[in-house]
This record gives sequence, structure tokens and C-alpha cells, in this order.
Amino acid sequence: MYGAMVLADLATPDATSGIWDWSYYLAQKYAGMFFQATLMTLAVAVLGTLIGFLLGFLVGLVNTTKIQKEDFILKKIFFVILKGIVMIYVEVFRDTPMIVQGMVIYYGLRQNDIMISTFAAGVLVTVLNTGAYMGETVRGGINSVDAGQEEGALAMGMSHFRAMIHVILPQALKNVIPEMGNTFVNNLKMTSVLNVIGVSELFLAAKTAGGTYYKYYESYIVISVIYFILCFVFNRIFALIEKKLKGREDYELATEYLDGE
Amino acid sequence: MGEAIIKVDNLVKSFGDHEVLKKIDFEIEKGEVVCIIGSSGSGKSTLLRCINHLETPTSGVVKFHDVEVRNTQRSLSKYRSEVGMVFQSFNLFNNMTVLKNCMFGTRRILHLSKEESWKRAIRCLKQVGMAAYINARPSQLSGGQKQRVAIARALCMEPEVLLFDEPTSALDPEMVGEVLKCMKELAEKGLTMIIVTHEMEFAKNVSTRTIFMDDGYVVEDESPDVLFVNPKSPRTREFLSRYMEAKGA
Repeated sequence: MYGAMVLADLATPDATSGIWDWSYYLAQKYAGMFFQATLMTLAVAVLGTLIGFLLGFLVGLVNTTKIQKEDFILKKIFFVILKGIVMIYVEVFRDTPMIVQGMVIYYGLRQNDIMISTFAAGVLVTVLNTGAYMGETVRGGINSVDAGQEEGALAMGMSHFRAMIHVILPQALKNVIPEMGNTFVNNLKMTSVLNVIGVSELFLAAKTAGGTYYKYYESYIVISVIYFILCFVFNRIFALIEKKLKGREDYELATEYLDGE
Repeated sequence: MGEAIIKVDNLVKSFGDHEVLKKIDFEIEKGEVVCIIGSSGSGKSTLLRCINHLETPTSGVVKFHDVEVRNTQRSLSKYRSEVGMVFQSFNLFNNMTVLKNCMFGTRRILHLSKEESWKRAIRCLKQVGMAAYINARPSQLSGGQKQRVAIARALCMEPEVLLFDEPTSALDPEMVGEVLKCMKELAEKGLTMIIVTHEMEFAKNVSTRTIFMDDGYVVEDESPDVLFVNPKSPRTREFLSRYMEAKGA
């Protein structure tokens, strides 16, 4: 380790230099590029997860909506079609690899004269992928809220929609937040496949940096460390959030109302 | 004879091929406390749930002040805000504190001011002896406490009729008393109530009318003095004697 520190400050390592010397050298020389790529990775993962999550909520909502026998006929038809579309979307995205989806969407759109940027295509693929998986999670989150919660709201005079907004979804959201954290960290790693459509994220940066000196192994060691730190830190942050969400175990007795009871 | 608040005409409810309610006629006037008794599966809870349309009747009508309750959101919302319901499983909103549970309906559905809504919540919670717990969450309360909060929540809407669906069936025995005491006080204050219950002593002492249901029919609809002491139908007699036996054992 001591040797590495000294060597790195010197000129380019040579054929006799070890892996760590080269890794350290590449990390220093391409610090700017790796930093930009880290930001790009984060941007795609954050946007993809957030928007994907909204999409997942819509999918979950559609999937948990029950068509009632006594519903208006147009409403029935609308929901049957909507449910069909959602089902096809979810199946297609769950049953094909993300790397292939990226190619199909990016080149497909460009061939049809929609000049989408690589960044936008990367975010789009992540969103669609996240949405397809989160839909199931959200459905589970909604279904795990006791049916009595909605009945309590309905019996008060609330509509199904408002019961969803005020009573069911807040509880469902709490149920799915741990999964949201997992999905985000997973997306951080999955952005690496977007190098195939030229999104300048960490994997592409490593490929570029490694290519210059023909030192791929060392270059990927650099981004391994970056991925590890990112994922490790975010996992800890989400664990903290989860703990916070559990709330306090105790409550304050309103002693001013204790009299006469 | 006063005017009926709720009138049920020819109500039929089937789940698939199974007919749970068979042509029920029933009405309740202001100030009445009607207890519905009967064995499990006799259709008493379904009748109660049909009354506020949590189950849509297969045929027949429910009338509120002589106006048919239609199956539209607007009609149902208005009706349900005037006919409260207390459930066996409490159904307090788990994402809100006791106070928010009680203020929710008056704020969001009746659109009262915050002050008015707060005053009502405190008043109703005091009535059931739960005002000290305004900051607690439902998960932090015992079953009896939850049910008392649920009653307060329903009272906040100032309903004309309050429906109780086996309010003590999910409670530990030592907590049944506190909830029944609450309900008795409400009856004494003149609140109109329909109570589905297995608590025969309560039905006998508190109700102004008792209905015995069996196999989807209203078998007997009488004052409790008659129904419990001198039931007309052999089926009622059998049910009550079975109940007394179980209790004696």
C-alpha cells in the first residue's frame, strides 16, 4: 500500500506495476470522468426510480380496482381495456432483459425518427422496468391493508377514491418503502447495462478509461469500489428511514382530560 | 306510530346461489333500540350491512325517511354520513391518531371548521371516556378502548341512526363490559340504534325491540319482555334455551 502511494505520484506505471498501482493511477487520471459518470449513474437511478415508482403506483391501483357487477357499462369496458394494457406492459417488461429493452427502445425510437437522447432513453428504460416490478409490490402493499380500513371509510360516507387517498394508500406506501429502497439500490447497479446504448454512466467510463491503457481489470476495480460505496451508503440511509417510519412506541396521555373518567 | 327513519322492503340478498336474506321487511323509528339476535349464519350481519349498502341488496329497497337509497356515490355518501356504523373489528384508521380518526369525517365529509370538528371530537371522546388518549394510535390501544374510540368516531358525525355489527364479539371477556356500558348510556340518551349482538342480557335489558333471525328470515319481532320471556315461535324458544344451556354450563 505504501509503495502504491509513492508510485502513483510518479509518472505512468509500467509493465512491472501491480493492479493497485494501475487502479489508483486510472482513478486519479480519470477522476473527472468517473465523477461525471457517478453523477450520471445517480441521475438515471434517481429519476428512473421516482418516476418508475409513480408508474408502479398507477399499475398497482389499476390491478387492485375491482370491477363491480353494478358498475356503469362504459366504466366496465374502460377498466377491462386498461387492465389488459397494464397486464401486457407488465409481462413484457418482466419477461425480457433490461439490456435488450434498452436496445429496442433506443434504436427503435431513433429508427422511427424520434431523436431521443441516450440519457432520456436510459431513464425511460429504467422507469418502465421499475414500474413493471413496483406494480406488483404496490398491489401487495394495498392488499395487505385490512379490508376493514376501507369499509370504515365507506361507512362514514367516503367514496372508494377518497378512501384510497386518505386511508389505504398512506398505509400501503408505508408497507412498500423498504422495497422502494431495494429497488433504488438495484437500479443504481442496473444502470450499468445502459452502456450498450451509450449512456455515459460508470460502466462506460470504466470501459473508456481501461481502453486507453488496455487495463480493463484495474479500471473495473475502480468502478466496483464506487458502486460499492454508493450502494452501501444508500442501503444504510434507507434502513434509517425505515426505522424512522416505524414511529414512536409511546404516546403522551392528554392528562387534562383524565378528570371525571 | 311515528314515522320510520329506515324502512327495508322485500330485501333479498344472495351470494351466488346461496340466498342469505329472504324477503326481509323491517323498519325502525326514532328513539328505538333494536337488537337483532340469532345464530351465526342466520343473516343478521348481512342485513345490517345491506341497510347501509356495504352489501348491495340483490333485490328490494332500503328507504331513508321514505326516500329510496340509490346505488350512486352521491346518494350513498349522503346517506352513510347520517347512518353511522360500528364494526366488530373496529376499523379505526391505522394511519391516524385517535383524535384524527374522530376529526376525519367531520372535516372531510361534513366540512365543519377545524374548531367545531375538534370540539365535537373531544366531546364524543369524553362521552366514551377516551379523551385522554387523543395522541395514541389505534395499535397502541386495547380492544375495548379501540371500540370505544370507534363509537366516538361514529358519534362525531351526529348520525340519526347508529348501526352496531357485533361490537363486542372480537373483545376479550373483561373488555365487553366497558363497551356495553357505553352503548347503554347512548340508548338512555335516546339515540336510535340497530345492534346485531350475541349479548342476550344486553338485548333483554337495553333494547326496545328484539328481532330474532333464523335462516334468512325474521322469525320474531317483539318487545324483549315478550321475546325473551314468552317467545311465540318454537325456533326462538329453541335458540334461547340452547343459549341458556351454554351459559349455565
